[in-house]
Amino acid sequence: MNSMSEQPQHYPISRRNALRQMACGFGYMAAAGISSQQAMASSIANPLLPRTPHLFPRAKRVIFLFMAGGVSQVDSYDYKPLLYKKDGDMLDFTDQRILAKTGMGSNQRVMKPLWDFKQHGQNGAWVSDLFPHMAKHTDEYCVIRSMQTEGVAHGPATLFLHTGSTNLIRPSMGSWVSYGLGTESQDMPGFVSLSPSFGNGGPRNYGNAFLPAACQGTAMGRAGMKATNIGIDNLRNDSLSPDRQKRQFDLLQSMNHEQCQSQPGNSELEAVISSYELAWRMQSNAPEVMDISKESAATRELYGIGEKHTDNYGRQCLMARRMAESGVRFIQVNYSDNSNNPAWDQHNDMPKHKEHALAVDKPVAGLLTDLKKRGLLEDTLVWWGGEFGRTPYAQKNGTGRDHNPTGFSVWLAGGGVKPGLIYGATDEWGQYAIANKVHMHDLHATILHLLGMNHEKLTFRHEGRDYRLTDVHGNVIHDIVA
Amino acid sequence: MFSAPQKLVSALIVSIFAPQVDLWGLNPSDSGIDFFEKRIRPLLTEKCIECHGPEKQKGGLRLDLKQGWEVGGDSGPALVPGDLTESRIIHAIHYENADFQMPPKNKLSDEAIADLEEWIAMGAPDPRSGAVTDSRESGLSVEEGREFWSFKPIEKPKVPAVEDPLWQDSPIDSFIRAAQEAGGIDPAEKASRVDLVRRAYFTLIGMPPSPDQIESFVQDQRDDAFERLVDELLDSPHFGERWGRHWLDVARFAESSGGGRTLLYKDAWRFRDYVIESFNRDVPFDQLVREQIAGDLLPYNTPKQRSRQLIATAFLALGPTNYELQDKQLLRYDVIDEQVDTLGKAFMGMTLGCVRCHDHKFDPIPSEDYYALAGIFKSTRTLYNYTDNVARWVDTPLPMEGVKANELANAESINTELKPQLERKKATQSVFSQHTVNVPKPGPPKPSRQFPGIVVDERDAKVEGAWQFSQYSQNYLDEGYLHDGNIGKGEKAIMFSANIPITGTYEARLAYAEAANRSTQTPVTVSHSKGETAVIVDQTKPPSEYGRFHILGRFEFEEGHRGNVRISNRNTDGYVVADAVQWYLIEDESVIKSNARKEELAKLKTEIKSLESELKPIAQLLKARPIAMTVKEDPEPSDSAIRIRGIESRRGDVVPRGFLQIATLGDTPEIPHNESGRRQLADWIVSPDNPLTSRVIANRIWTWLFGQGIVSSVDNFGTTGQPPSHPELLDYLAIRMQELDWSVKSFVREIMLSETWQLSTQAKSNVVERDPSNRLLAFYPKRRLDAEQLRDAILASSGDIDLALYGPNIDGAGEINANSTAAQKIEYNYVFKDKRRSVYTPAFRVKRHELFELFDFGNINFTIGQRNTSTVALQALYMLNNPFLIDQSRVAAKRLIQDRQNPDERIDLAFETTLGRGPTDEERRLIADFLSNGQTSDSVEEWSSIFQSLFGSIDFRYLK
Repeated sequence: MNSMSEQPQHYPISRRNALRQMACGFGYMAAAGISSQQAMASSIANPLLPRTPHLFPRAKRVIFLFMAGGVSQVDSYDYKPLLYKKDGDMLDFTDQRILAKTGMGSNQRVMKPLWDFKQHGQNGAWVSDLFPHMAKHTDEYCVIRSMQTEGVAHGPATLFLHTGSTNLIRPSMGSWVSYGLGTESQDMPGFVSLSPSFGNGGPRNYGNAFLPAACQGTAMGRAGMKATNIGIDNLRNDSLSPDRQKRQFDLLQSMNHEQCQSQPGNSELEAVISSYELAWRMQSNAPEVMDISKESAATRELYGIGEKHTDNYGRQCLMARRMAESGVRFIQVNYSDNSNNPAWDQHNDMPKHKEHALAVDKPVAGLLTDLKKRGLLEDTLVWWGGEFGRTPYAQKNGTGRDHNPTGFSVWLAGGGVKPGLIYGATDEWGQYAIANKVHMHDLHATILHLLGMNHEKLTFRHEGRDYRLTDVHGNVIHDIVA
Repeated sequence: MFSAPQKLVSALIVSIFAPQVDLWGLNPSDSGIDFFEKRIRPLLTEKCIECHGPEKQKGGLRLDLKQGWEVGGDSGPALVPGDLTESRIIHAIHYENADFQMPPKNKLSDEAIADLEEWIAMGAPDPRSGAVTDSRESGLSVEEGREFWSFKPIEKPKVPAVEDPLWQDSPIDSFIRAAQEAGGIDPAEKASRVDLVRRAYFTLIGMPPSPDQIESFVQDQRDDAFERLVDELLDSPHFGERWGRHWLDVARFAESSGGGRTLLYKDAWRFRDYVIESFNRDVPFDQLVREQIAGDLLPYNTPKQRSRQLIATAFLALGPTNYELQDKQLLRYDVIDEQVDTLGKAFMGMTLGCVRCHDHKFDPIPSEDYYALAGIFKSTRTLYNYTDNVARWVDTPLPMEGVKANELANAESINTELKPQLERKKATQSVFSQHTVNVPKPGPPKPSRQFPGIVVDERDAKVEGAWQFSQYSQNYLDEGYLHDGNIGKGEKAIMFSANIPITGTYEARLAYAEAANRSTQTPVTVSHSKGETAVIVDQTKPPSEYGRFHILGRFEFEEGHRGNVRISNRNTDGYVVADAVQWYLIEDESVIKSNARKEELAKLKTEIKSLESELKPIAQLLKARPIAMTVKEDPEPSDSAIRIRGIESRRGDVVPRGFLQIATLGDTPEIPHNESGRRQLADWIVSPDNPLTSRVIANRIWTWLFGQGIVSSVDNFGTTGQPPSHPELLDYLAIRMQELDWSVKSFVREIMLSETWQLSTQAKSNVVERDPSNRLLAFYPKRRLDAEQLRDAILASSGDIDLALYGPNIDGAGEINANSTAAQKIEYNYVFKDKRRSVYTPAFRVKRHELFELFDFGNINFTIGQRNTSTVALQALYMLNNPFLIDQSRVAAKRLIQDRQNPDERIDLAFETTLGRGPTDEERRLIADFLSNGQTSDSVEEWSSIFQSLFGSIDFRYLK
């Protein structure tokens, strides 16, 4: 393994020039996204080689369970008794949407939580009945109740969560992780996003922006697609029998060898030949990683597979575990849809939160149990959360809650995070984070830290400037690191 | 807002200062220092210094030295000794403003806050010496920058002498060969005719030659055969499709916004066609620059020319804007930033985006220059307004010609005549029926149309000075109301104005929401037919009418004239608020209830109905006229203030609109105060004195012809970019560009006719070792087909291609509301299935064509000066398994089986249509072996496999 210096040296020249400078005989430059161990031995410029990070890594990979739309913190992890007392009162709040447009506060109706809170686990964490399964695991994850982010609308906030910028074109977090750490998988891409939405930034949320193309996230499936149909694009050939396809593949590669020989000294052409070989291997092996049919009935049950509400997300969580085992670095499991008001966005129908909770609660809890049982939780960081939270008051005096970027809850499990810790606090309403505030930039910095990377040193020079995931911000929250 | 600290000041002075000095028996300064050492220094060290100390200086502020807070950060001194109200640090630690809270994570304890206040109140004694040095990095000064190659004036260089006679005809060749001679390397042989014709076709029109076209060139024995070929291809309408595509890359052309809520740019195809047509017509490049920056401001002779020029400004409008960003001022500056950044890269190879926050760290571009340019775009409307929840770009109807123009002109004149009539009748109707209106109760917001009489909301009023929009007090009409912020007294006014439909006495009433902090003496002036009347309103008192309107008085107003009510904030003692004004007609009961009135109302109803039905088709006709995405001049052009660290709310000095100092070598055009300055900006960019523009465009064209630039960082001619491999050649080309009157076709022709362009891709021995990156161009760089060439070549080889020129290509996008979910669904659910050339493939920012995504189209959100070439397994999977490849292979196979019977001829033709050459012996053997494998050679399946293998093969995907 090559080491990563403070100013990463692994993209000093363009791939194109690197290729030009290499003698014929080097064939694995191409391995982008699917590099193999054997290949690495002969490679000096594979962009996705596993790299030694800056610091001692606590986590080797991330599973991000993205709750698109914004889960209400005051209905789930942030217990605020005052909301029951003041339910229905009209009071002055600084609503972020109105603030952004007018710079003024506004009068709003307090709305109590719709689900009862109880204390759970050794740590006595308050969790509402919205998440009965996840509530059983409070001693395994660290709840951050003082999250803050930027962007009041879904688009900007979702982009901010993924790329650290509400509007400007920046690489997504998974791409930064791929860039910084490379991949350990032989047959799989290094960064996978399961069922991403077209909405709210769409591909930009798993895009590499100006980072090398190999750092691009690979979308498997799309929001709204059934989990049983999810896979890597173009992995299957439905038109040809395996036998025929093999013959055709051999013809193609024979012609390629013939054509390459007539132009000696061109390593780029050899890279094409290699890319076909790797594709062929991927085609043979990747489906197995994605295939959950051989998992035991008990495991499948654990994730809620086969049950009406949980089947879809359960399958994806199980796939995520299998990908984690096969060495995928950053796995995002999206709970979303393609609308502008995705999944958890209950502006006028708060009870609908239950529907979404039903879909994710058991699968997520199952994933935690399974990872722990297999010893994977040690070095896998699991991140559960959305792009923002929701207001403690009813939106426009109705039956839903509006967006709240100034105080909301997420949790982190495994990968070097203090289990069972309850970190930070919001004000008495659950609206503003007031103690131990964690800005999204800070969360990014902390996750990179847990992966062994210094967020201020993980930089990429583009158009004359060194870019970071955290721009010029971000502090590692050392308090939550075990 | 600042009352708490103020009270504290007086309390502190009494309780702490005087008595304690005596108590402690110390002189004041010693006690102060003692207080600092005991209470303040530990506090600063623990809570502040990490971010405001020797290591980091967030916001430019240091708190580890006395001079640190004296000099202060980006917003000025951190504190003012003895003055809590003026001390920024006090407001920050009180967490008064959500955007400015320190320390950011946790509020200080009440005790700590009290300590800091006490310390500042006592004059902030601080013994820490030491000078703050500005540790911020900064780039070259403008003067130093003048020595950098790209900012030096362009001078026509002397053509060097070369020994080789073949390389003496074209100056281009002489420059290239001279460098090779100096480096001791020899150029490759000339490319074979077969390779050359394929290279020329792909380069100029982006498609492969047919076997017949290859044959005719190979057989052409005339001396000028290649010249003829180049001319023929330059004349092809497909030239614009290929070369327009290059420019569309630079212009970050797309047909949707991407970003948050993606909006469909349904009219963006007009810009694409404009670009293609411009390259086909060889419009001079400097003219293209002018049209794209300021087309709406240029003179024109015909409606067609006017249309062209309007369409061109989409260049500024079709960036990846996040229209739903809620902070609309931030959005405004994000849009400006994107425009400045794109313009800088596209025309001048300058990266300007980073100057939004600080002076350029490497290039000689101070913040003032950025905000000088920003002022030009701030004075340009790119969004309709800055209050919409989801903002919109500026649509402009295009002028028409002929019958259509007459039809439209006619419709417009009818509309102009009838619309006011209709409105007046409607106003009369609503005045006459004002007694029947069921007025809403006070409380939540209500639409103004639910109130009787004539009601004018604040959104239709004219404002002077900076009013603030608000929804804080619920009791308003329509969307909100305005207030003066209780500042700038005497600088602000609002005028409500109504068309009076019928002469009479009206009661004028002003709507506002009362509150204790309002002005008690708001001056209101009513202009009526007898003159003007001044009224004073106490806005702390609740309005009498329906709990919303305050009666200003009864006045005479005359039919057909305007009634005005003007509210000022002069000499007011609190917040002045204004929401709406009502004109309520005063009439006798007898008149209201009379039969005559009933008849009048019935007549009005009929007239309104008939006018409406007459206007309906007219409105539709006007709606259907062609629309272009454009920008327009802001009605009030103004300069921009610097944003400190790029933060919208933190204003620095106002900078006059202008240009980059470093690229200004001659006179600069003056920007009149009433213009944005875009016209002058365009003139300055294409001025022969501008050292960047012609170098940048010459280098772009060179890159499009060779796959690598003389300056390899094509979008970056700054100090962090790459220096030119042949500086004199670059200057020669830049001058040549100007000499050829910016004709792209002539320029391309000259380069393609050089020896250099026609070299083989096979280097002579030892060249690769001596010049591994081929900077000296001793052989032609081997080039991979880019995404569009690959797709078009497959379609052309199979014969399935649809060569229709120009026009829209997004199914269902015709007259849809671009700002609707339906429009979004068009993108999300789009199935790419047309067979048109790739330049017409819908260029969505979210849903990309898979082939483009995989084969390095690159990021459609940015200027792309040069495509990358990555080789990844996902591309191989596409070539192996994607239905497009499989389908096209079948189409090609069926055609081949029909066209040729003889197996050998079939093999020949399959190779010629795909690779542009016949098979080698080995290839022929491989195909024959494959076919003889127990299958008949008439099998579509077998031949499909062969075609798919050819499409996937190296010689199809790479040009020689």
